[in-house]
Amino acid sequence: MTVGLSHYLILSAALFGLGALAAITRRNAVAVLMGVELMLNAANLNFLAFWRYLTPQGMEAQVFVIIGFTVAAAEAALGLAVVLSLYRDFGTLNVDEASGLKG
Amino acid sequence: MSSLAILGAFLSLAVLTLFPAVMVISTRNILHAGFWLLPTLIGVAGLYAMLDAHFFVVAQVLIYIGAILVLILFALMLTRDVMNPRAPQHNGLLTAAVPICASLAALSAVLLARHPWPAGRPPEAAGAHDQTVALGRALIGTYALPFEAASVLLLAALVGAIVLAKAPQTEPPSAERTDCSGGEK
Repeated sequence: MTVGLSHYLILSAALFGLGALAAITRRNAVAVLMGVELMLNAANLNFLAFWRYLTPQGMEAQVFVIIGFTVAAAEAALGLAVVLSLYRDFGTLNVDEASGLKG
Repeated sequence: MSSLAILGAFLSLAVLTLFPAVMVISTRNILHAGFWLLPTLIGVAGLYAMLDAHFFVVAQVLIYIGAILVLILFALMLTRDVMNPRAPQHNGLLTAAVPICASLAALSAVLLARHPWPAGRPPEAAGAHDQTVALGRALIGTYALPFEAASVLLLAALVGAIVLAKAPQTEPPSAERTDCSGGEK
């Protein structure tokens, strides 16, 4: 039995599910960010698995992964700035309590 | 390498990736959750190595572990005293979200496993040197525009992060702002 494309896809589906679970259920805003990072990692893993097994000569998947890394870095920087201003204005990091936009 | 050794390496990397991800969700101490992210990211870097994506192994370690994880740990340590570790760490969605996320992952796993992908190992990938040279040429050639768009996105995000994180000192102190502006009576 060899490791095929579907192994990587199943693993990254599991990683995405765990990241989504962290992003949905955690109360701490930084933990929500960590869940988003897990989901981005699963997406990057999918890109590279498809690149290796389906289009090893193409460059598109690698360029997408570079953009994914950039988006992850931008998301981390912006998210932490939002976390710090949330802390300053509300005195909490609990995303349930920061409900100013709730209708 | 024999296919059994490759399978063993894949399975141990899968455990190294998924078990810490479970701990990131379930652990009570938020700082420990941040540290549990480290083995997950290392496991993903190992999976990149198994996929012969040499450049991205280094990029994963440099960017995710060296930059993003350190940034997250900084934020956790700056705000560690805010949340009571004995308070519930999950919101009321937990009982609904666990089956939903599990069925999402299981459904996509079943669908992806049943799809007839081309079986077996593809032909050997190019070596690390040739691969990185080709990627660099693509980034300044065919894909220069997406690459520049990504740089502009990162620049805009960083400028926005600085503006957001800066204390609101330039605004005139109003009644509800006096507690934030610091020191003015």
